[in-house]
Amino acid sequence: MSRSGKSVLVFLEMKNLEIGRISWEAMAAGHSLAEILGLPVDLALVASSGNPIFGHIHGKLPRTVYAIDNTLLHNYTADGFTAAYAQLIERVKPAYVVFPHTYQVRDFAPALATRFGQVLIGDVTGIEANPDGAPRFTRQLLQGKLNANYRHSGAGPCFLSVQAGAFRPDQTDPSGHGETMLEAFPPSLDAAKIRVRPGAPFRPSARTVDLGSAQILVSVGRGIKEEANIAIVQELATSLGAELAASRPICDAGWLPMERQVGSSGQTVAPKVYMAIGISGAIQHLVGMKASQCIVAINKDENAPIFEVADYGIVGDLFEVVPALTAAIRKAKG
Amino acid sequence: MKIIVAIKQVPERDARIRIDSVGKWIDLADVEFAMNESDAYALEEALQLKEAHGGEVIVLSAGPERVGKTIREALAKGADRAIHIASESEDELAQYDALGVAQLLARAIEDEIVPEPDFLILTGLQSDDLGLGQTGVIVAELLGLPHASLILKVEPTGSGTVRVLRELEDGWFQYLELHTPAVLTIQSGNSKLRYATLMGIKKAKTKPVKVISIADLMSEDLGKSPAWRPAAPVVVLEQVKLPTKQRTTQMLSGTPAEAAAKLVEKLQFEVRAL
Amino acid sequence: MPFVPAAPTALGIFLAGPIAPADPGRFSLLDKLLLAAMIVTSAALFWKRFGVVLDKILKSRKDPGFRLLPLGKRIWDFLWEVLCQAKVIRERPLPGLAHAFVFWSFLAFALVTLNHIATGFGLAVLSGNGPIDGLVSGGFSGFYFVLAALFAIACSISIAGLFVRRFLVRPKWLAREGHQLSWESGVIAGLIFALMATYLGSFYVADAGLAARLLWWVHTLCLLVFLPLVPHTKHLHLILSPATIFLSRGGFSQIPALAGDEDFGLVTGKDLTQLVSLQAYSCVECGRCTEHCPAANTGKLLNPKEIVLGIRGYLNEFGPTAEELLLGKHNSQEAAFQCTTCGACEFQCPVGIEHLPIIVGLRRGATNTGAWEDDHGGKLFNVLERNSNALGMSALERDKFVQKQELPIFDGTQEYCLWLGCMGGYDPKGREIIASFVEVMRYLGASYGVLRKEKCTGDPARRLGNDLVFQQLAEANLEAMRSQKVKKIVSICPHCVRTIQEDWKEFGAPPEIEHHSEFLARHQSRLPHTNTGEKIVYHDPCYLGRYRNVYDEPRAVIAAAGELVEAPRNRERSFCCGAGGGLAFLGEESGERVSHVRAQELVATGATTIGAACPFCNTMFRDALAATGDNAPRLLDIAQIAAAQLPGKAEKPPMQPPN
Repeated sequence: MSRSGKSVLVFLEMKNLEIGRISWEAMAAGHSLAEILGLPVDLALVASSGNPIFGHIHGKLPRTVYAIDNTLLHNYTADGFTAAYAQLIERVKPAYVVFPHTYQVRDFAPALATRFGQVLIGDVTGIEANPDGAPRFTRQLLQGKLNANYRHSGAGPCFLSVQAGAFRPDQTDPSGHGETMLEAFPPSLDAAKIRVRPGAPFRPSARTVDLGSAQILVSVGRGIKEEANIAIVQELATSLGAELAASRPICDAGWLPMERQVGSSGQTVAPKVYMAIGISGAIQHLVGMKASQCIVAINKDENAPIFEVADYGIVGDLFEVVPALTAAIRKAKG
Repeated sequence: MKIIVAIKQVPERDARIRIDSVGKWIDLADVEFAMNESDAYALEEALQLKEAHGGEVIVLSAGPERVGKTIREALAKGADRAIHIASESEDELAQYDALGVAQLLARAIEDEIVPEPDFLILTGLQSDDLGLGQTGVIVAELLGLPHASLILKVEPTGSGTVRVLRELEDGWFQYLELHTPAVLTIQSGNSKLRYATLMGIKKAKTKPVKVISIADLMSEDLGKSPAWRPAAPVVVLEQVKLPTKQRTTQMLSGTPAEAAAKLVEKLQFEVRAL
Repeated sequence: MPFVPAAPTALGIFLAGPIAPADPGRFSLLDKLLLAAMIVTSAALFWKRFGVVLDKILKSRKDPGFRLLPLGKRIWDFLWEVLCQAKVIRERPLPGLAHAFVFWSFLAFALVTLNHIATGFGLAVLSGNGPIDGLVSGGFSGFYFVLAALFAIACSISIAGLFVRRFLVRPKWLAREGHQLSWESGVIAGLIFALMATYLGSFYVADAGLAARLLWWVHTLCLLVFLPLVPHTKHLHLILSPATIFLSRGGFSQIPALAGDEDFGLVTGKDLTQLVSLQAYSCVECGRCTEHCPAANTGKLLNPKEIVLGIRGYLNEFGPTAEELLLGKHNSQEAAFQCTTCGACEFQCPVGIEHLPIIVGLRRGATNTGAWEDDHGGKLFNVLERNSNALGMSALERDKFVQKQELPIFDGTQEYCLWLGCMGGYDPKGREIIASFVEVMRYLGASYGVLRKEKCTGDPARRLGNDLVFQQLAEANLEAMRSQKVKKIVSICPHCVRTIQEDWKEFGAPPEIEHHSEFLARHQSRLPHTNTGEKIVYHDPCYLGRYRNVYDEPRAVIAAAGELVEAPRNRERSFCCGAGGGLAFLGEESGERVSHVRAQELVATGATTIGAACPFCNTMFRDALAATGDNAPRLLDIAQIAAAQLPGKAEKPPMQPPN
C-alpha cells in the first residue's frame, strides 16, 4: 500500500468464540478513519492463526490480519493483553489504534495508552475530518447532554475506542479474498508479570429476576386491564430479549411478583430502553425509571404524564400497538 | 490498611447546560456541584472496608476551592483525612488531559504510600461530567500496581490479597484475585450509600485536610519513565456543542402497524438497542 | 364572702341527717403520738420516692429556649384544662366527667382533710365555734360539710363507675403492653371509695362514739396509705400534671432548636430535658394518645403511650445522666420511625404531654448520629442534598411545568409568591392542584409569581430528624427569599406552610405564608358559586387542622359547591392519611395501610367526591381509591372544586383513577 508502516490498526474482540458485532463496528470506524487519512487498515485478534474465524471478515478487507497467540492470553487479563498488544504496536507502529469500547477494553486500553505516553480517546461516537485534514473525534459529555470534539496532538500512536452502535458495520465485500495477509504474532509474555488471577465468568443463580442488569425493560401498567392480557406484553418482552417489569398496581393485584415492581416502593432502574405500556406516569413510578436512557411510552391517553418523560411515544390502543410492535421486532431481528 | 479514595467534584446532574463564552465547557454560573456518583460508591466501599477490617480512609481530590465542600462531605461520611490538590482557577486543571490529571494524583499518592507495605486505591468507575473512565487504570499503570475495573465488591482475604467481584457485560460476573497494593475502580449501585450526618459534619471540622498546589506537585522531578511527562496534553478538547437532538418526545403516528414500524427503526438506528 | 346557707340547710333536711360528720371525740396523747408517727412515716415514704422523681426531673438538662413569659396563656390553660378539666371531658365525655368529679372532690376535700387531721390533734378548724366560722359566718362549716358530702356522693359514684369501666368493661386503650389489668388503679380506686364512704358514713353515727372513732381512723389510714402510693404509681399526675400543663412548650409540635455543637437530639439520658422528664412522669396511661394514633390503629409497633412510658422506664432504670441509648431497652427505633407526626397523640393528652417533640427528638438522636440505617431514608437524604427536592426529579422538569402553565416568574413586584413545593412542582396530581388554583387567582386578578428555583422546604428531613439537610435547605431558601424580596407566600401544601412558618424560624425570619384554603376563604364573596348539591366529604389534613387550626375555611369552599359531609373522625380527630413524618418517602408499611383505612372511612360516608386540601393526602388517597375499584368517589382538592365553579367550566366527568 502507499505508506509503509503507517496504518490504522483495529483490535477485534472475541465474544463467545465469535467476533462480536461491536468489533465489526470498530472495524468500520477504522475504515472511515483510514479513508480520511489515506491509510491502510490492519486488524488484530487474539486467536491462533489456524482459527477458521479469519475466513469470515465482515466488510472491506484489511491489509494484514495479525493473529496474536499465547497460552497466557486464553483468559483475559489486563496485564497479559496490555503486554501483548504493546508488543504488536511496537512492531506495526500504527498511526492510529482503534478498539471497540467494551468492558474489557476499558480495563486495559488506558494502561496500554499510558505506556506510549498517550491517552485513549474513549467511547467515540463520530469521526470526521477537520478543515486541515486531521481527524476530529466526537465524544459525549455530561451523560449525553453535550458533544465534544477532540483532536490528537503530537507524535506517537493515537488510541481510540468506538461506542457500540455509533458506526454501522459494513456488509461483507464479496470481491477479493487473497489480498489480505494473515500473520501469526506470538508475543513473549511472562506469567509472573500477570498480577491478577481471574475466576470463571458466572451468572448469579436462583435470582429469577434482575431488573437492574437488564438492558431493555418492558413495563406494564393498569392499562392492561386484566391479568390474562399480560401475555401480550410478555411476547413483546421476549421478542426484545427484555425483562418484564410492572408498575405498582399490577404487583399489588398479584398479577406479577413484587420483584418486578419499578417505582418508589419497588426498584429504581436505568436500562438502555424502558418501554412503558399502559402506564400513566404517576410520580411514584417515574422516580423509579426516569433515569433510563431511552423511554418509550404507549398509552391511549395523549395527556398521560408518561409522555412528558418519553423519548418516543405512541398514542394508541396497546392491544393493537403491542402485537404490531412484536411482529415488527421479530421481522427486524430476522 | 490504608485506603486512598480519589473523588471528583462534578457539576450536578440537573445543571442547566449552557455553553460558555469560549466554547470549551459549560457556563458555570448558577451551577451547583456534587460528588461524582461512582466516587460516592467508591467512598462507601472504602468506609465499609474500614468498618470491617480497620485502617484509614484518605480522600484525594483535585480542583479549585469549591472542591473543599465535597471533601468535607467525604470526611463527614467517615473518611479520616483528605488531600486537596488545589488549582488556582477553574481553567488550570482543564488544561491537563487524562494522563496529566492521573499524574498529579499519582504524585500526591506517592508521598502517602512510600512507607506503606499494603494499601488500596479506589476510584469511581467514571466521572459524570467527562465520562472517560480511565483515571484509575492510568494511575495503576503509573504506579506500577495491578488493577481491576468495574468492581462491585471487595473482600480482603488475608495475607495481602483481595478478592473482588467484577461486572461483565450482559449480566455476567467474575471474581478476581489480586495482591495488594492495588487499584480498583468501583461501579455504582453496589451498595446503599450512607448519608452525611450532622454528627459527621461536626467531626469533619477537626479532620486534617492537606492542601498542595499543582505547581508544587509538578515541580518535583520524579525521574520516571517517559510516561511521566509534564509536557503538553496529547488529547485536546477543541469545542463543545449541544447535541442537535434534545430529549424531546417524538410522537410516532399512524396505524398501529405504521407506528410500530417507525418505532422499530428508531430502536435500531437511533437508540441502537436491537 | 359569706354564703347564704339556705340550699345546704334544705339539703340537710332532705338528707334527714345532721349536717356535719360525727365528732370522733377526744384523742389521747397516745392517739396523737400514734397519729404523728403515722403521718411522719407516710410523709417519709412519700418523699422517699417523690424525692427521687423530683431529683431526676431537676437533674435533667434545662430546656434551651424555654420562656416562662408571657404568663397569660399558661394561666388560662391551667384554669381551663386543669381546673375545669376541659379536654378531659370533651375528648372522652362520660369517663371524663367521672374523672372531673373525682378531681373536683379532691379539691373540695382539701379543707375537709385539713380539718380531719387537725381534729386528730384537737385543733378542728371547721366547727361551729372554730376559727373559720368566726371569721366568715355561722353555718359556714355546716354548709361546707354538706357541700363536701355532695361531692363525696358524686365521687363515689364516679369512682365506682370508673372501676367498673377499667375492670369489667376493659377498654383496650387503658391496657399496657404485657400488662392486663392495673392492680394499682384498683387499689387507688378502693382507697378513694373508702375515703368517700368513711366521710359519708360519719354523718350517720353518733358523736364521740366508737363507730365515729373507727371511721375516723379508717379514713386517716386510707389517707396515709394513699399518700406514699402517689409517687409510686401513675397517680403522680396528681402533683405533676398541673405543673406539666402550666409549663408546656407553647404551640403544637414545637420542636426545639438544637443547642450547640454537642446537641444531636435525644440520644442518651443526658439529652433528656426537664420538660421531657416532667412529661414522662406525668403520664396517666389513659391511652387517649394511642386510641387516636394511625400507626397503633393499623397494627404497627408504634404506641405513643409506650413511647412516653418508655422514657419513664429509662429514667427509672438509668436516670437523666446515663449514656445508654434511649432507643434501646425501653424504646425501639423501629417504633419511633413509624410515626406520621399527625399529632393526634399530643392533641389528645389531658395532662399536657407533648409527644411530637419527644418522637422527633428520638429520631434526631438516631438520624443525626447515623444510627438510623434505612435504605429509603438514606436515599431520601442523599436525593434532597443532590436534587434539592424530595422526589429526586430534575429541576428542569419543574421549569417545563412552569413554562407550560405560563406562570409568571416572581420578580419582587408581585404581591404573592406562589410556592409550588415538591408536590406542586413535580407530582402530576400536585400540578393539577396548582393549575386549578392558578385559574382561580387569574380570575381574581391576583398579583403573583413563582420562584425560578425552589428547594424543598425540608419538611421530610425535619420530621425524620436530619438537621444537617434541614438546615441546609432552610438557610438556602431563606436566603433566596430574602434576596428576591419575597414578602407573602401562598402554598397548596400544609406541610410547606408549617415548615416555612414555624420550623424555618430556627434559622431566620420567614416571610408570611398562608395556605390556599385561607386565601380562598378570604375571597369567597368574589368567587362565583354553583352548588350542585353533590355530597362532598372533607378530610382534614393533619398539618392544616391540628397543626394550624384551620377547619372552617376549606369547609366554606366545599359547602359553596355541594353538600358538605363530615367524616366520622373529623376536625381535631381527623385520621391521618399516612404520608406525614417523611413516611411518604419510606418503604412499605407493615400491617394495614393507614391510607386505605382512612379512604374506606371516607368512602363509607356515601359521598361521591372526597375533598382534600393537601397534595400528600391527595396522592395517598389516589392510590388507596385505585384499590377500591371503579365505583370509587372522585378525589378533588378544594382548589379544583373552587375552579370548577368559575365561568366557562363545564362540569367535568368523574375522573378515572389513573394507573
